[in-house]
Amino acid sequence: MKKTLAIVLMLSILAVSFVGAQTWKPTKTIELVAPANPGGGWDMLCRVVQKTLVDEKLVEKNVIVVNKPGGGGAVGWTYLKGKKGQGEFLAATSTLIMLNNLLGSSELTFKDFTPLAALQTEWISVAVQADAPYKNIKDLMEAIKANPAAIPIGVGPTLGNNDHLLILRLAKAYGIDPSKLKFIVYPGAGGEIVPALLGGHIKATTIGLGEVLEQHKAGKLRVLGVSSDAPLSFLPGVQTFKAQGIDVVFPHWRGIIGAPEMTPAMVKYWDDVFTKMVQTKTWKEQIEKLGWTGFYQNSAAHTAFLTEQTGIFNDLLTTVGLKK
Amino acid sequence: MQEIFANLGLGFQTAFTFTNILWVFIGGTLGTIIGMLPGLGPATGVAILIPITFGMNPATALITMCAVYYGAMFGGSRASIMINTPGDASAIVSCFDGYPMTKQGRAGAALAISALASFIGGMIGMFFLVFLTQPIAAAALKFGPAEMFSLMMFALVATITLAEGNLLKGAVAIAFGLMLSTVGIDALTGIIRFTYGAEALQDGIDFLVIIIGVYAVCEVFKNFKDINAVYKFDSKHIGKVWITKEDWKRSLPPMLRSSPLGFIVGVLPGMGGTIATFMSYAMEKNLSKKPEEFGKGAIEGLAAPEAANNACSCGAMVPLLTLGIPGSGTTAVMLGALMLLGVRPGPTLFTDHPEIAWGVIASMLIGNIILIIINLPLAIPLVQILKVPTRIMLPIIMGLALIGTYFLNYSSFDFVVVMVSAVIGYLFSKLEIPLPPLVLALILGGTTEQALRNSLVLSDGSLGIFVQKPISAVFIVLAAASLVYSLAKRKKHAA
Repeated sequence: MKKTLAIVLMLSILAVSFVGAQTWKPTKTIELVAPANPGGGWDMLCRVVQKTLVDEKLVEKNVIVVNKPGGGGAVGWTYLKGKKGQGEFLAATSTLIMLNNLLGSSELTFKDFTPLAALQTEWISVAVQADAPYKNIKDLMEAIKANPAAIPIGVGPTLGNNDHLLILRLAKAYGIDPSKLKFIVYPGAGGEIVPALLGGHIKATTIGLGEVLEQHKAGKLRVLGVSSDAPLSFLPGVQTFKAQGIDVVFPHWRGIIGAPEMTPAMVKYWDDVFTKMVQTKTWKEQIEKLGWTGFYQNSAAHTAFLTEQTGIFNDLLTTVGLKK
Repeated sequence: MQEIFANLGLGFQTAFTFTNILWVFIGGTLGTIIGMLPGLGPATGVAILIPITFGMNPATALITMCAVYYGAMFGGSRASIMINTPGDASAIVSCFDGYPMTKQGRAGAALAISALASFIGGMIGMFFLVFLTQPIAAAALKFGPAEMFSLMMFALVATITLAEGNLLKGAVAIAFGLMLSTVGIDALTGIIRFTYGAEALQDGIDFLVIIIGVYAVCEVFKNFKDINAVYKFDSKHIGKVWITKEDWKRSLPPMLRSSPLGFIVGVLPGMGGTIATFMSYAMEKNLSKKPEEFGKGAIEGLAAPEAANNACSCGAMVPLLTLGIPGSGTTAVMLGALMLLGVRPGPTLFTDHPEIAWGVIASMLIGNIILIIINLPLAIPLVQILKVPTRIMLPIIMGLALIGTYFLNYSSFDFVVVMVSAVIGYLFSKLEIPLPPLVLALILGGTTEQALRNSLVLSDGSLGIFVQKPISAVFIVLAAASLVYSLAKRKKHAA
């Protein structure tokens, strides 16, 4: 009897999800939450997704972008958390969804939501002044190894972010104790780091490639390496860290999470939409303009990726004593 | 030199199209309105425009955004002058003498001088932008953490010397402001400080909320006892939106001094209109032959910071145009919008896209002229606000203040902050503790702390770094000198 009941129950769940899988569609305005102020990476991502979804007619409902800044994303994500089971509510996300929790500033993790997709990535670079003696990443790593205190490294807006983690990983892979590195923290991020490096107040920086690309092209700064897995077409003459013998690949990705407890039907709907979206001309054009690289993972792949990355960051932050 | 004029010609060619002039007009008007509303600053205004700029060509987009930025600078001080509620942080200083002028029935003159000073500051700023951009941008790179820290110490000390009565009370206000600025996540270590478990405090206390509290809401508290009072001014007098020859004579030299100051502060990374306006006010008060009139409706106390503020917004364009580095929150938003349009500002913008760089400069010149044409007549309906009876005006101020508060972070917790700070502001005014040092310390506290700690990391803990670096040493000496000078002056007064 019990067994029959269980089978009936399972069948009905299957049936519901099956029917759902065929029929779920947004029934109201789709809300894209950018958990930051207008103009930043998350906001840009939401606006580009909005434009693509609407221009390419990938969804039938209206799409709006809502800015909810604060708490390194926590404010916007907390808002999303309140929209349990509603497939029309999405938010931009990035590594911060893991890091905030590891660093002790937020209770939220990706497990509180429905990870839907990774969409794009920027690559992180290590840059020095144009007239610095370091020609490649190994030169710099050797200098740091010899005397870490002589190489102040600029990072921002806070310690424990992607950029900071990248250089920690590079150092660790090169056999340098990551806790010996000397960091100068700039809360104004690139807007303060780039002038500081140009002015020689710091010796190196680890920073999003986009923020130093033009300086590098103009010969004012030198990018020693990038965190991508393959050389970048728009950056001739600069090798990946991997190609220079330090096996670290580090995307600074951004993606989309959905409200908690989305049904499999909703997940399937968004998987279909985003799979199509990243193929469109509008999407490709927009991300190219912004200097981003496509980095698509569907819901299942993205969830697995988040789990793996959380483990790596956990170890690294524990090593340098930032883990809370 | 000839090259500059040729380039400027190219710029005017870009700017002088019907579409661009129309957008300067629309953007300028929009910016003026946004600037007037408490809580909505130029960064928000520019951000609202991003979706509109999608279809524009990059030059038009940047020209429109600059017009909004500029308009907000003109509009920001309107609410400061009329209802003691700064539209944004850089309009705080305009309250100091602007509002007392209004209370004396000189709102027309205050609005006129603020528009004129904005215009003059803008024009002088433009002049520097056209002719001195490259060397100034290079000089600004010399500012590292040590120089930054010393500059801020100088600014803070200069503000203490502004305090009426005794220096000790000014120091109390500074200390209180610095304490408030430490609340929230520490960028250097990620440690959460002084939030007592309140998640809403993690990002720190927004200084704009405090400012709305201690100025606008507190003003409502103060006037509550006179709720049935009606200003008894000669309404002809109120309506007159112009200044006397005497006003002009008093204001001109301060404007001419404050504009270059504002421009230089604007170029420095991480600095902005707030510090430019405070420094110019402090400078003018210390230079003035009648410092006792400052804070009681001295017209030059309004003119100088207004000029500095607009010159500062020109200065903030320098790092954006020459290096592709945003020098302020607003220019950061502009940078983002430009990238969406496929233009990456960088060190090569002037050579790769001269039509954009110079088009913007030319349009700022045009915008400045258009804005003064918009703003002077606008003052005529504005001064009529004075005829509104207090019992109607106070609820309106309260409503505007609370709406502005909510718009800043969309957080209802900020209502608590705004009310608590209003009560504190009220107590401070009863105890005669000055508010400007508190506000400035709160705004600069975070940056000052970061600069200090970064300097000490660089010097391995030695304080010597502040005197070994020449620029830094100059500011330390200036800070010490202004303290000594002010003490000496007070003693003389007392004697």
